Amino acid sequence: MGLLTILKKMKQKEREMRLLMLGLDNAGKTTILKKFNGEDVSTISPTLGFNIKTLEHKGFKLNIWDVGGQKSLRSYWRNYFESTDGLVWVVDSADRLRMEDCGQELSKLLQEERLAGATLLVFANKQDLPGALSKDAIQEALALDEIKSHHWCIIGCSAVTGENLLAGVDWLLDDIAARIFTAE
Amino acid sequence: MDVQEQHGRSCGENMVDMVDLDEENFASSSSSVTDASFDAVIGCIEDIIMEEKFQQLQQSFLEKHYLEFDDSDENKLSYTAIFNEYVNLVEKHLEEQLMQRIPGFNMSTFIDILMQHKEEVSGDIFDMLLTFTDFLAFKEMFLAYRTEKEGRGLDLSQGLLITPLIPSGSEQLGSSGS
Repeated sequence: MGLLTILKKMKQKEREMRLLMLGLDNAGKTTILKKFNGEDVSTISPTLGFNIKTLEHKGFKLNIWDVGGQKSLRSYWRNYFESTDGLVWVVDSADRLRMEDCGQELSKLLQEERLAGATLLVFANKQDLPGALSKDAIQEALALDEIKSHHWCIIGCSAVTGENLLAGVDWLLDDIAARIFTAE
Repeated sequence: MDVQEQHGRSCGENMVDMVDLDEENFASSSSSVTDASFDAVIGCIEDIIMEEKFQQLQQSFLEKHYLEFDDSDENKLSYTAIFNEYVNLVEKHLEEQLMQRIPGFNMSTFIDILMQHKEEVSGDIFDMLLTFTDFLAFKEMFLAYRTEKEGRGLDLSQGLLITPLIPSGSEQLGSSGS
């Protein structure tokens, strides 16, 4: 590691966190990001690159990174793992056909060394859609109970209505803060 | 252009310090050898960043990649590779220059000392070093360079300030005034 990288780690502000939001394409990652940031979410097109938002919440500075989820982009995800405090895995609860694919991609991520220290929040998004699987059904489909390597939590939400987005982020912040800032 | 201007200003402000450091040289007044060499290296880093040579390095990097950058909210995946290249370039330049200027300079030893001086690591020079690792600042730098390069910066502000007001009011003002 070079001088600048080390300096950055040293000087990382105490109440600053980096969150990485991933998931299959069309899961609603960018919508969640924009909704949380108070932006218009009526016209969101598929993300081909990545978005970053920096926002203040509960006295923390959050740097949220949202990277496109199309299959051809997933190999780029690893370029964004470094220094991640919280991983937000976004699931399209109505996309039953790809639930298996979704579970596989998540379990690959959980084996990544550079994400080993990150807390996992699973957003079971699109709960407002009629065909959506419940949060419990997704918990089972993704075999979340088998995860021993990370602190995790699943929350049913709707990015479009904004329902439960805050609840999820609050849980994530509390867990990260308890892990990182009390350990010192 | 923002970054360039910043450098220009800081350079002026620090001119006295820089001269002092150059002339008096290192290992003079500090309490221990470690402190002295630590301060010396920091002074040297300051010099290196303010120098023409560094500006040129930055300039040619901007020139090479600026067409890739668009002013849209979403970032291209390619930015990340360019960003990593930039951080490496700056780090490598710093290390090379430090090795040329300080006999026996060793980066990993310096980083160890830096860790021990954790509390003192503050001030302009560190803020500046940290902006080199800030992706959003990096993107801004490229967008500013592109705007400048394509001549939109100046034209736009002049147009906005002058054109809308004068044509409608100038006749009346002119006739009543003279």
